Amino acid sequence: MAAPKGGYFGKILEIDLSKQTAKERAVSDAECRKYVGGAGMGAYFLTKEYKAGKNPLAEDAFIFVGVGPLNGTYCVSTRTSFVNMSPYTGLLSHAEVGAHFGNEIKWAGWDGIYIKGRSKKPVYLYIKDDKVEFRDAGKIWGKTTEDADEMIRKDVKNDYARTAVIGPAGENEVPFAAVIIERFRAAARTGTGTVMGNKKLKGIAVSGTKAVPVADNKKFYPAAVAAKQLAVDKEAWQGIKRWGTAGLLELKHWVSGSLITKNFQTTWYPDIEYIGAEEANRRFWKRHVACNHCPVHCMKYGVISEGKYAGLIAEGPEYETGGLLGSNLGISDFGGMMALIEAADAYGLDAISLGGVLGFTTECVEKGVLTPADLDGIAPAWGKAEPYMELIKKITFRDGKAGKLLSQGVRKMSQQIGKGSEAWAVETKGKEIAAHDPRGDKPRAYSYAIGTCGGDHHEGTNAEELARWAMINSLVMCSFVGGYPWGKETPGVFLAMLNPLCGWNMNDAEYWTTAKRIITMERCFQVREGISAKDDILHKRFTTETLPAGPKKGAIFTAEDTKKMHDATYSYFGWDAKGIPTEKAMKEASLDYLIEDIKEARKKYKL
Amino acid sequence: MEKEQKKIPNVLQKETTRRGFLKGAAAATGGAVALATVGAAAPKVAKAAEPERKPLYRYLFAERQNCTGCRACEYACNIYHYGVIRPSVSRVHVLKYKNVVDVPVICWHCDDAPCIAACPTTPLAIQKDPKTNGIILNEKLCLGAKCLKCQEACPAEFIRVNPDNGMPLMCDLCGGDPECVKACLAQSGKPQGPCLIAEKLGFGVHHAYRNVTPEEAGEDLLKLLFYPNKSGERR
Ligand code: SF4
Ligand code: SF4
Ligand code: SF4
Ligand code: SF4
Repeated sequence: MAAPKGGYFGKILEIDLSKQTAKERAVSDAECRKYVGGAGMGAYFLTKEYKAGKNPLAEDAFIFVGVGPLNGTYCVSTRTSFVNMSPYTGLLSHAEVGAHFGNEIKWAGWDGIYIKGRSKKPVYLYIKDDKVEFRDAGKIWGKTTEDADEMIRKDVKNDYARTAVIGPAGENEVPFAAVIIERFRAAARTGTGTVMGNKKLKGIAVSGTKAVPVADNKKFYPAAVAAKQLAVDKEAWQGIKRWGTAGLLELKHWVSGSLITKNFQTTWYPDIEYIGAEEANRRFWKRHVACNHCPVHCMKYGVISEGKYAGLIAEGPEYETGGLLGSNLGISDFGGMMALIEAADAYGLDAISLGGVLGFTTECVEKGVLTPADLDGIAPAWGKAEPYMELIKKITFRDGKAGKLLSQGVRKMSQQIGKGSEAWAVETKGKEIAAHDPRGDKPRAYSYAIGTCGGDHHEGTNAEELARWAMINSLVMCSFVGGYPWGKETPGVFLAMLNPLCGWNMNDAEYWTTAKRIITMERCFQVREGISAKDDILHKRFTTETLPAGPKKGAIFTAEDTKKMHDATYSYFGWDAKGIPTEKAMKEASLDYLIEDIKEARKKYKL
Repeated sequence: MEKEQKKIPNVLQKETTRRGFLKGAAAATGGAVALATVGAAAPKVAKAAEPERKPLYRYLFAERQNCTGCRACEYACNIYHYGVIRPSVSRVHVLKYKNVVDVPVICWHCDDAPCIAACPTTPLAIQKDPKTNGIILNEKLCLGAKCLKCQEACPAEFIRVNPDNGMPLMCDLCGGDPECVKACLAQSGKPQGPCLIAEKLGFGVHHAYRNVTPEEAGEDLLKLLFYPNKSGERR
């Protein structure tokens, strides 16, 4: 088992919270080359170590905090990937998040952190290079993500430590709890915060002093500089630099007709002018903020200057947060929207699922299947931030009738409520979907319906894109800098960096094989849990109701669209018509260890 | 301190050079990428090139409100000195204060250099390069971890300790052409302008800017940016 030559340290930190022990787990060069890192490496561990039907909150269930070979090198905009079996959907899920946390893991000398077990008392981890401390989190438990981060860095007496923490939502095991990094960055959509809460793990602090080994620096450095220059020069980023992703709010309303509005009732939301990027720029934003070594600085921090929330510092709106907690709730009060966004960050909730739940609840009240009496007297209504704020608190603490009902998420809520509410319970594979209406933005359906985790907006917009994004999520690169600007040149740009960095000689073909392997591997995990073509669909609201207004008026996602999407994807990856990887495809991707599992799943679910 | 304040008028007379500098800096960045190609080998290249045509900056400044927290400055400092990325030994470092503002912590190349004044060795382990104004550490003379008087003396809390040998990490101004400044301009220049600036003259802003710790600077910045008219209380 040869050790990696560069890009990796060849070791993963394995934490057992039950025994409070830490040890090294070696990863070989071959494993690194096959599974890359981040999402791919996490999927490898999950498929190998779990049997079908695993309880995602079992004591020996694990979270893999993954990084890629490029993290901690000169390469721009690398991220962190949280991979686990989601307690929300019961499926393999991965969440990528920006900021500096992942690089710090790398500088501490690790290719990832594997966390299993369950502590008896609240703890947090402090990882300083090779040293791991299990520290008492008694005082920090119950604190918001913002306070927890501050307290941890004070407690370890290191201002430069980087943290990932959960808020009260994670502690209370709300199934869509997020992990928050540096106060405003969320690794969400995976229930990782829930698993951390279950493990009584309040946070992870990392501080490193090492340098990532580079096999051939003479070649790697210029390639990384060239890649960075691509990102700096790219015309498309001038908009994101200036407006962040908030600029898309207006764009998707006026042009693409895909802005989520009132729980996907429409995409036409002229009030966007009160909550979009222009308004934010006029009245709210104070500074631009970048992740590590990133020339795009898409994050914007601001402060509310007047009204009820005057003085509140928050980040955003981003396209997803502004969509889900803005237009989705019919809000036109900028301060109110920002307060909801900040509440999601502070409590450690997934803003997308939260927005979906709130939108669904409001429509239930609108249609009369829920009454304020079912919601502890709270009356949610489009455009009113106040009741939403109340509901967010209820959800976070799973408090009262409202808290218990809403914290289950849309799918279970509608099962409980009945009365035809499934007609507007918008979800895919049990998860609320992001802010792009797939009737206006049809390619997005690939990401929502077929993408590994379900309901996510970040997994590619056609079959080849799905593969490309699998690679980006395994290299753990930013979806802007690492994703879009390099278009079809992607393998070239990455390989120019990867080969000298890791001492490989990977070519384009191997790059794509690796990408397909990762997707197929993830798919195998989902198939073992009963997923097949029948689940790779959009919610029926998109296939039965046309868009009532806006630039894409009349648009609908037809059965042909679904079929086309299935055929294109399944044939590209070598899956059969039911969306199950064929034995041939699995052999090609050298996933022989999963062949038996898939045979069993076929029998069990009659596929 | 008094000594330095006397210098202020002198410096202000030349105020107009600032604009001239900005032009020069913009021109210099064009070559930033090419110049920094081979990491550790770069210092030699820089020295070998015709000296009089090289920019020779003697001070660093930070327009702190422009900082995006991208840490390109740290990366550039690392590449110049070591050829690989290792922010723990970067001279410039960026403090995230309350996770709301980023404070680039730089050496101001103080005219009175309290760090040098505090150094107990003879000859001095840290000295200013008379040509570049950069602070050069002589590892043979430095007493390292058991001394660190320089670290104590620096009012800007700029000096950090090299985890390998316990010696202070001093800013040598990269031989007169600061890499961090070029990196900052190259990638964070839009839309708000760069944060780090190199100057040939000191302008005497040292005391207002220098004699604050990174935390104090962070608090200032937080007030300046987010609560311009208020007492700074956060909700
Ligand atoms: S005292 Fe600090 S800021 Fe001043 S020259 Fe020395 S190291 Fe630089
Ligand atoms: S640590 Fe070295 S440079 Fe600093 S004061 Fe002591 S001897 Fe001088
Ligand atoms: S001037 Fe050079 S040595 Fe000083 S902080 Fe900047 S890059 Fe580092
Ligand atoms: S390069 Fe400039 S903007 Fe980026 S962190 Fe350094 S000082 Fe701030």
